[in-house]
Amino acid sequence: MTQLRYLLLISRQGKVRLMKWYTPLSSKEKTKITNELTQTVLARKPKMCNIINYSDHKVVYRRYASLYFIAGITPDIGNELLTLELIHRYVETMDAYFGNVCELDIIFNFTKAYDILNEMIMCDGSLAESSKRNILQTMTAMDSMDNHDKLDRVLS
Amino acid sequence: MSFGLSSNNAPTAEVVKQRLRPFGIFFEKSLKDLIKGIRSHNETPESLHTFLTNELVQCRKEANSSDINLKANAVLKLAYLEMYGFDMAWCNFHTLEVMSSESLQNKRVGYLAASQSFHRDPDILVLMTNLLKKDLKYAGKDDMVKVGIALNAISTIIITPSLARDIVDDLFLMLNSSHAYIRKKTIAVLLKVFLQYPEALRDNFDKFTMKLQDNDISVVSATVSAICELSKQNPWPFVPLSPLLYELLLTVDNNWIIIRLLKLFTNLSQVEPKLKYKLLPKIVELMDSTMATSVLYESVNCIVKGSMILEDDYNTANKCLQCLNKFCQSQDPNLRYISCTLFYKIGIVNSQFVSDYNDLILRLISDVDISIRSKALELLRGIVNENNLKLVVSTLLKQFVNEEVVILNNNGNGRGNGSRKEFPILIPNDYKIKMIRTIISLCSMENYRNVTDFEWLNALLIDLTIVSQDLIEARDELGKLIGLQLKSIMIKVPDVRNITISSIIKILTMYDIEFKLSTVLRDCIWSLGEYSSLIENGEVMIKILIDKSTRFNADIKAILIPSILKLLSTWCNSGNITLSEVKDVITIIIQFLNPLISNSLFEIQERSIEAVEFLNLVAQSIDELEVEQNESSTELPMLLTDVLPSFFGGNELRPIAKGTQQELQKNLTHDYLETPFLSSDDWNNLFKQYDIDEGCITESTLFDGSSDEKFSDRDTFYENDYSELSSNVEDKDNPFSNYNDDATIKNRKEEQLSNPFYLTESDDKANIQGNDIFEHQEYNSHVDELVTIVKVKNTITPSEHVAQSIESELITTSNKEQKKKHKKHKKLMKKVKVLDDEVIVQPDQSQLELESKKSRSLSPIPNLYSMKPRNNNGIFLQTKSKLGSFNFNKDEINDLNVIESEQLELDKIRQRFQEQSLEDQSTMNDGDEEVIIIKKKRDKSKKKSKTKKKSKSKDEIKQIEADPAGAIEDK
Repeated sequence: MTQLRYLLLISRQGKVRLMKWYTPLSSKEKTKITNELTQTVLARKPKMCNIINYSDHKVVYRRYASLYFIAGITPDIGNELLTLELIHRYVETMDAYFGNVCELDIIFNFTKAYDILNEMIMCDGSLAESSKRNILQTMTAMDSMDNHDKLDRVLS
Repeated sequence: MSFGLSSNNAPTAEVVKQRLRPFGIFFEKSLKDLIKGIRSHNETPESLHTFLTNELVQCRKEANSSDINLKANAVLKLAYLEMYGFDMAWCNFHTLEVMSSESLQNKRVGYLAASQSFHRDPDILVLMTNLLKKDLKYAGKDDMVKVGIALNAISTIIITPSLARDIVDDLFLMLNSSHAYIRKKTIAVLLKVFLQYPEALRDNFDKFTMKLQDNDISVVSATVSAICELSKQNPWPFVPLSPLLYELLLTVDNNWIIIRLLKLFTNLSQVEPKLKYKLLPKIVELMDSTMATSVLYESVNCIVKGSMILEDDYNTANKCLQCLNKFCQSQDPNLRYISCTLFYKIGIVNSQFVSDYNDLILRLISDVDISIRSKALELLRGIVNENNLKLVVSTLLKQFVNEEVVILNNNGNGRGNGSRKEFPILIPNDYKIKMIRTIISLCSMENYRNVTDFEWLNALLIDLTIVSQDLIEARDELGKLIGLQLKSIMIKVPDVRNITISSIIKILTMYDIEFKLSTVLRDCIWSLGEYSSLIENGEVMIKILIDKSTRFNADIKAILIPSILKLLSTWCNSGNITLSEVKDVITIIIQFLNPLISNSLFEIQERSIEAVEFLNLVAQSIDELEVEQNESSTELPMLLTDVLPSFFGGNELRPIAKGTQQELQKNLTHDYLETPFLSSDDWNNLFKQYDIDEGCITESTLFDGSSDEKFSDRDTFYENDYSELSSNVEDKDNPFSNYNDDATIKNRKEEQLSNPFYLTESDDKANIQGNDIFEHQEYNSHVDELVTIVKVKNTITPSEHVAQSIESELITTSNKEQKKKHKKHKKLMKKVKVLDDEVIVQPDQSQLELESKKSRSLSPIPNLYSMKPRNNNGIFLQTKSKLGSFNFNKDEINDLNVIESEQLELDKIRQRFQEQSLEDQSTMNDGDEEVIIIKKKRDKSKKKSKTKKKSKSKDEIKQIEADPAGAIEDK
């Protein structure tokens, strides 16, 4: 099964928009990976394939508008195509949730972006829920609870 | 804050703020403000940094506040700031507080922050346990989300074994929840728990796997994922599930799950080869029916990685390859890339499979994407043959020079006009390095089978030398590679030696080669010396080398010294060289060598001292000759015409099969240290034959017979030698003829009786004359010195003996091989003759097997497992007791170790058997003259350091001289 090691969202300017680590790494290693990958991925030309060999694992990336979605996967276990599919599914879900998602949506609602990701992907980085509808359902449920909660607080 | 109070006193600012907070009105910066602030401070990194540090201080203050809402806000901001590289581990306790908040909103924030930052701090997890237990309790409808959040968080946080143990019971309860959502999440958490605490899986295996039959598809999907993960760690327990999984594969129509099932089967079939027969037809069927590329890809992947292709299964292989071929033709670079990887894996099983696709692969090595090219390089070995080698190599070579561009057609899909853009393809150095390595391995593979034109190969190597000079990061390695190729062509392809040596000289004279690609020189210089007979004007070569030598590395200098001597030797004896010319060259060489005598490296020191000493002698004898004859005489001293060539003029070097040297060393025993060079019988024979007067021995005579090759006709050699000696001695009057010390003689006699090197009295009588005693005594002191040296040198001989015994043992086998070689040769004859590696010792069979296994297997685990006797039919057989404190992961490692050590032990035993048989063989030969005679054969085929040869033979002679001395003294 596709096993993500990490998922990074990096803007074209090289800013990190979201990062999720599925393997325990020290913050030094994290910074190293982030910096190096930002460089290599941003330098890639269109028409090149979306898979790179990076240190001991593979990295699959995909660009949506100004955002790069970069996923590190375990070489022998990960299915590269599926990872691309997974990234796409994530974007689709966000698109449905935010309604024509753009980079700013993710910046300002990064908790929501994380929540969607958590719904989709299991702890070890493998996909848990492939149905967009289910994810959205849970998300709205959570949001309504959230609002409810807020209301409760105001009323108290 | 109470209402009553506020009506009396005007509320303080703090109180107002606090009251407004629940309405979402903050006077502290909210996350939105923070983000906006970051965006407005974006101009320079410095200003951003100061802004962020200020914010961080602010957050710290807010996090310390007692208001839970404020704290939550701070934690949220910190979670955002973490993406900018700020560590937020310090606020773990605050996060914990936020997590325990009653409000779901805050709880959410807390759990998010926890899942982002907690895995660094196991201490906090202890504190978390109770909180988790509480949050996991499902009570009422609204709690579903809360439980979901908690489960989410646990699944992301690294769980410690103790935490896992504490929550596992709760989790299994939740597995029966009526909500599919909770069941699904629980399975995700259970996976994490099982990895840390495998006992839980052992005890609840059925409960867990039951979820494969859950009526909710997402629960099934999660279970399949989890089992897939677990089976990666330890596939055994899940093999019994395969019928169920197979059923699932047949019924499920969700592509995501199908892919996961395929992955799972890949893992399982690696340990259970029987699965293959059932699965393969189904997978092939799936390949035919599915439309999704990723399913197609995964099917091929499953077939390849689950080792379902046998070496002769052309049908399946072709099916897969056709599919991959289609991928490679596609416009999508990703498809091309991944199919390249799989192509390679199929190629490993049997390179025959791939050989039909050479057009495709040729196209792939000029793909626009470098990473695809790099993958395709690995495939080349499978497709090259003598017809397309040149084409392939020239395609690659062009990539070093040509600048390529990608043309991108922007067809104006809604964004402006359709434009054509050109991007240059940058070729990274590591790809270039890989190309060079590939080219070399392609050319040299299977003993140059594919090379028809060695002139071309020579030119190619020169090109590569030029190209490698710019690849700074790997040029040492590449230089070595190229040098090795040159040397091996030199040795293996006698027909083109002329061409090869000229390309070597070309490389040697390249500008700055000694700086840019110094490693290539080592083998080049060696070849120059070894094949110096191909060079007409050796003195020029010597001068060039000496000119350049100041800039050489130490290891090259060490090779240079013997090479220069070889060159000198060949050149001097090429005829018509005058004394004065020789003298000039020798002076140059001595000048070059003199500073090296004090070199810090022992190797250089030793070689240069030896050479200088010898050359000084030569210079002396030239001087003497000059006195007798005129300068232009072409009659050179004996030292140059006979002695010098004999250092090197052994038999021609021939290639030896890989590993021979190691095999010889492995069989080295030390019994031979005590074996005398000649047995006492030999001595008797010698002395009976030559009734000699002992005399002094001149240096030249000593050297004269020192060539190893003459050992076979030992008898004649000694005859000459001794007759010469005796003639020397005849006219000499020994002034110490009356020398007679009874005491010393007695002592010595006693010593000699116990020493096997000495002859018995009776035999000696005839040979001995009284007046020689002094000489002998003098020698004896020599002998003492020598003995120590000789002993050291002796350590070399055992390996030789062994080599011989093995060789004789293997004569039959090598004969067979000879026949095979002949066949091969016939095929090659139309081309250039390439020498084959000669097999002296059959390499250890078990090791060969291991090696080939290593090279063949992609995943070492299946092989090792399949070797292991399968006595574990239950679920947790080998692990039941061990599992206690290990997770699956560790168990696996242990198993591997056990298997490996078993294998090792087996190998050791085998080796011991072999050694024993060898020992028997060698003891039979022990002490026989035969042993020494065979030595000559060995010399033929074995490359040996020249210096050793020289000094050793010298020592042998001295020993021979010394021993009769002792023996003669007897009287």
